Amino acid sequence: MDQRNQPAPAAPDAVLRALADPHRRQILRLVQHAELPAGQIAASFTLTQQAVSQHIGVLRQAGLLTERREGTRRLYTLNHQALEPVRELLSEFWPDALRRLKKAIETAHPRPPERQP
Amino acid sequence: MTAEIRSDVIVATERIEAPPEVVFAYFTDPALIVTWIGDRADLDPQPGGVFSLDMDQVTACGAYITVDPPYRVAFSWGIPGSGTLPPGGSTVEVVLTPDGDGTMVVLTHRGLRPADIGTHRAGWEHRLGLLSLAAGLGGPGCSCLVPRDGDTPLSSLDA
Repeated sequence: MDQRNQPAPAAPDAVLRALADPHRRQILRLVQHAELPAGQIAASFTLTQQAVSQHIGVLRQAGLLTERREGTRRLYTLNHQALEPVRELLSEFWPDALRRLKKAIETAHPRPPERQP
Repeated sequence: MTAEIRSDVIVATERIEAPPEVVFAYFTDPALIVTWIGDRADLDPQPGGVFSLDMDQVTACGAYITVDPPYRVAFSWGIPGSGTLPPGGSTVEVVLTPDGDGTMVVLTHRGLRPADIGTHRAGWEHRLGLLSLAAGLGGPGCSCLVPRDGDTPLSSLDA
């Protein structure tokens, strides 16, 4: 059994803040399907290793990265579960759209007043 | 209005006080569709016909799969440049059922993946103003109807 350091799920705000940076999104892309050591992640950027480490820290705090230690190496992979709160926001896209559809139609096509018998 | 969340499907329903004939046009007429989604629409509402919808910072696009007035319309849906929600990678089906004097609208978005983060983001932008998410988790830009990831059962419609 791996010793995984998997933080508790973070609030959507923390996840969204973590995602609101192109470098951090790039890190998530790198580890979306593969577990990579920190060094290999840093090698993909022109940023300093320290800057990449900071980004990794933000992503870990948001619960988006799972860290596993293997000897002296730290390996990271995307924690898909952390995306669930954001997914719930995403899931409101169509209900919101249909609500606007209803309003648009019912405004453009008001029902005639009920006729009295 | 209700929404059901499953791993790869979003279902949204709404009852509208108008007959299906009226509602249907709001999915096929560019002047009507922008009253509820997007700022500018380019629609070719016939099977295989492509559409694009400008929404804030992103453009959604796809191809109509089924156009069956006034009860059913289906189309592929995606965001160019998105690695996880590529054009053609997911589909939206809208079924309109007469309900008294009105219409029950059931919209089903299929083919979503758990990592659809930062891609299908227009709703967040509206809701949260998170324009900085615009680049999403997707890769570099690609044009509409050029699927990126291979799982594109609708790609034959691109021809």
